[in-house]
Amino acid sequence: MALEKIARKIPASLWNVASEKLVDVTLNSQNARKMPSDLAKTILYYWQRDQLATEVGLHRLLEASMILEPDKTISLMEELGLSEIVVMLKETL
Amino acid sequence: MVEFGIEFVPRDLYWKTTFYAIQAEKIGFDYLWITDHFNNRNVYVSLAIVSAYTERIKFGPGVTNPYLVHPVVTAQGVATLNEIAPHRVVCGLGVGDKTTLQMVNINLKKPLATIRESVHIIRETTSGRKLEMQGKIFKVSGAKMNFKIANPIPVFIGAQGPKMLALAAEIGDGVLINASHPRDVENAMKFVREGVEKTDKKLEDLSISAYTSFSIASSYGKALKAVIPVVAYIVAGSPEIILGRHGISVELASKIRDAIVHGQWKEAFSHVDNDMVEAFSICGTPENCIEKIDKLMKVGVNQIVAGSPIGPNMRKSINMIATEIFPNFKK
Repeated sequence: MALEKIARKIPASLWNVASEKLVDVTLNSQNARKMPSDLAKTILYYWQRDQLATEVGLHRLLEASMILEPDKTISLMEELGLSEIVVMLKETL
Repeated sequence: MVEFGIEFVPRDLYWKTTFYAIQAEKIGFDYLWITDHFNNRNVYVSLAIVSAYTERIKFGPGVTNPYLVHPVVTAQGVATLNEIAPHRVVCGLGVGDKTTLQMVNINLKKPLATIRESVHIIRETTSGRKLEMQGKIFKVSGAKMNFKIANPIPVFIGAQGPKMLALAAEIGDGVLINASHPRDVENAMKFVREGVEKTDKKLEDLSISAYTSFSIASSYGKALKAVIPVVAYIVAGSPEIILGRHGISVELASKIRDAIVHGQWKEAFSHVDNDMVEAFSICGTPENCIEKIDKLMKVGVNQIVAGSPIGPNMRKSINMIATEIFPNFKK
């Protein structure tokens, strides 16, 4: 399933916390060099407009964190109690 | 009212620096400075992307140097940025980092004349005038920009020694005092006043910044760990008079310098003690930082630049500045 659809399954009540944690995973990743430049610019665009904690923002953050840190991203979703998303993310690997 | 600046070193990937720049603007920083070393990412490319993702914050090279970059090229860089972000661009200029410049065989000859002439060249060319100049350092024959520059670009001068501080105050729109300790800044202010007295400017018209090494965290230990490498470099490059002012042994500073030159980082950092950290940084918990900023303001600065490393976790530390520091100083 595409990450866009997976991101839509994150409940609105968790958008803020999920966005914060995904940003941390992305910024602190040892694999930051793997970030595609176009994706980075899209994330900056949403960050500037305070839209990272929205469906579109989360989609791009999820995309980035799955490229940079797939295991940490899945663990993070587990911590948030999003078991359905965990299964879906594992299927994308 | 005090203004706050933040410094980024473009060693980081461009999108990380830009992410933090957006964050710095959101939380209320007034200035954003990006360092200029040939072995990091290019300062103007970094600033151009920052300018595209910000709307309010003032920004510029902090600082570039006229030894590696001819002042007409600096003028061209800041003028182009000014076209992207009018009225937000400032030009930070200084003699540069000796260690980095020595790597490309550049010696910092006649720094006062070099800076004086560079400022003249930058001012004239960014004013759209044709420049003829036969200086001691630079010869310019008919240099003129082929595009219009809409507004004047303020020039801030980085300074540490007495003569450079006085010159910076005399010819600059702002002085970036390279110091973190109130005693050093208080001493610097004597020379800043001397420089201002040579002009018809008033001291309060001048932007006077303490360009500090800054590290903030929830505990002193965490902040300390992040700042030690930066302090080691500062100690290694500090003149004896400044080491003496803080009771730091010249021999110990030499040991640190030798260890850095030989790439023995652990050895170099192991010699950094609390006196050095206190002398050359604002480091610690929000309470520790507030106390020191307060003292710096009392000796006369009107801008605090939070320079590298900012803290052990850049994003958290920037947020901590917003929630714990700014409410004490910004209305």
